[in-house]
Amino acid sequence: MSEQPLIELRHVYRTFKQGRQLIPVLQDVNLTIAPNEIVCLVGESGCGKTTTGKIIAGLLPQSEGEVLFQGRPLESYRGKERAAMRRALQIVHQDPFASLNPAHTIGQILSFPLKHHKMVSGRAELRRRIWELLTLVDLTPPGDVVNKYPHQLSGGQRQRVSIARALTVQPKLIVADEAVSMVDMSIRVSLLQMLHDLRDKLNVAIIFITHDLALAKYFAWGERIAVMYLGRVVEIGPTEQVIGNSAHPYTRALISAVPEADPIRTRSKQRMKLRSEDIPKLTEIPSGCAFHPRCPFFVPGVCDARVPTLGAAEGYAQQVACPPLTEGLGLREYEAAAEAPVAG
Amino acid sequence: MAQNDVVMSVRDLSVNYLTERGPLQAVNRISFELHQGETLALMGESGCGKSTLVMALMRLLPSNARVPNGEIHYTTRDGRVIDVLKMSKGKLRAFRWSECAMVFQGALNALNPVIRVRDMFYDTGRAHGMGSKDAVRERALELFRLVRLDPERVFNAYPHELSGGMRQRVLIALGLLLDPQVVILDEPTTAVDILTQRTIIDVLMAIRDKLGFSIIFISHDLAVAAEMADTVATMYAGEIVEIGPVNEMFYRPHHGYTLGLLEAIPSLAAEAEELVSIPGSPPDLIEPPPGCKFHERCPFAVERCSREVPPLVDVDETHRVACFEADRVIAKARETIQA
Repeated sequence: MSEQPLIELRHVYRTFKQGRQLIPVLQDVNLTIAPNEIVCLVGESGCGKTTTGKIIAGLLPQSEGEVLFQGRPLESYRGKERAAMRRALQIVHQDPFASLNPAHTIGQILSFPLKHHKMVSGRAELRRRIWELLTLVDLTPPGDVVNKYPHQLSGGQRQRVSIARALTVQPKLIVADEAVSMVDMSIRVSLLQMLHDLRDKLNVAIIFITHDLALAKYFAWGERIAVMYLGRVVEIGPTEQVIGNSAHPYTRALISAVPEADPIRTRSKQRMKLRSEDIPKLTEIPSGCAFHPRCPFFVPGVCDARVPTLGAAEGYAQQVACPPLTEGLGLREYEAAAEAPVAG
Repeated sequence: MAQNDVVMSVRDLSVNYLTERGPLQAVNRISFELHQGETLALMGESGCGKSTLVMALMRLLPSNARVPNGEIHYTTRDGRVIDVLKMSKGKLRAFRWSECAMVFQGALNALNPVIRVRDMFYDTGRAHGMGSKDAVRERALELFRLVRLDPERVFNAYPHELSGGMRQRVLIALGLLLDPQVVILDEPTTAVDILTQRTIIDVLMAIRDKLGFSIIFISHDLAVAAEMADTVATMYAGEIVEIGPVNEMFYRPHHGYTLGLLEAIPSLAAEAEELVSIPGSPPDLIEPPPGCKFHERCPFAVERCSREVPPLVDVDETHRVACFEADRVIAKARETIQA
């Protein structure tokens, strides 16, 4: 990439203390986000996608490794620069019922950050800016909304307010953490389309965190997807490739497991059978590739011995963390297992 | 399907909630039949009345709910017909769980955290007159095997020792303890991970085929309905607006709302997709709009839709729809849906 990345995660680790135990939630995460880019983080609960999002948004320090914003470590920003950096990185939370103060009107909710960060001067400009923001998130006419309280709005409208609030400080990046998962399916798409439009209009990058693969595919079409498993990125690349020509056995298992809103197709889909259904605990992460106890293509002596790193693999445009694919180790056994019938 | 294999027949059922502003019509004149071994999916947005409907079937409605009209007839295995709405408290106890069982969503909250799984089974067995502990144990272990759980370990475990997916399967087994004819599942796979969801779907379908019970399940996830259901009912603002066999509903929808839902959800299969969300939001059910309740959001609405309430009419023997403009909906569906 010739352009300087907006955010770069280099060998990022994060642990949490639970009693006397240290829980490794993120391990060696490397991720680069360009300005104006969309990246989807997908994975099951406990995979570290939300922790990654919080670290990117500067809300949580990493335990080890580096997080760079426009080429400099987050910690190196001081004073006014630091304030500007914090404004540039915004987050939209999952629950639009919990994330808006019920005692404040929508107008107040939007005016606090505008005033605090001195984004506007004078009442007239404040009002103009609030009107502009509400129009941007399609809450029109703004006059109908400004004096309402959050409880008077639907879930979808509330999420639009959350997005407008994130936009008050003119961010360069928005982390949207399951931002549409609590909104009814009939209006999810309109929220996603609005986010896409905002990206184009305001030149922001978006990290979209979701557990829903179909949603990720729709939102990140033409962009990138990163699949996470037990604290590591196991596959990353162009959405069309990751979904249409998945490399990592975990991604393939996910895609084969997802039901689809097409009765004939979903009932005739080839299912991948895992060796084990239990997700290992974060305190007992398996050796080598963390997926090996469940992986149907497991190669003994390779997968349980080597910690895989992301790399190129023959036949794939994306990067994948799977030693048989990236290093050719035990590839013959892997392919033999992969060709055996796997339908469940 | 033969007429005589109907296990549950609902006629003209309405449920109102008493509120300060007046009665809220949560369920409005719903009729359907559930056959032996059939899986019926209720789909629709939150607030469409699907939870209220299943609660009414079990007589589990909260105290501010009223049933102004309607009938629920249930046919037992030996052919007796029971009027569910007129059942006495004692009869109702016997009906729930042994005839019609419910599996709630949120496996975390539905199990008592301080007692072992086995004690929950023993308690349930005793409360419903299942006889000896040995009989309960034997049945429980058999059910655990069917839902692919390690029988001995799970039977003696506390809920916190089990993963979310295992707990959900424990609840399914618990629901089946008294061999009910009808099992009601409220969002059986919501809030679980993809691979866990796959296990639950597979296990549910296998155990249904083996034991032959009927299922009514609520899901806001159309994909789960597409995979599990024989029959799908679309609910909107307290009414069934379309009901039919799963393939009919997904490939030949006749109601603007069903088509709208299908066009609003992303799929993994397709290439780049054009999705359209349904504009607006569901109506106020205390003062519902006149005519078809969907007309304000419907791209097919004509003037008549805002005046007259469309009746649920036959498209064919198994497929019914409540829409004046069904011909235009299906014409559009033929253009956009490739089956």
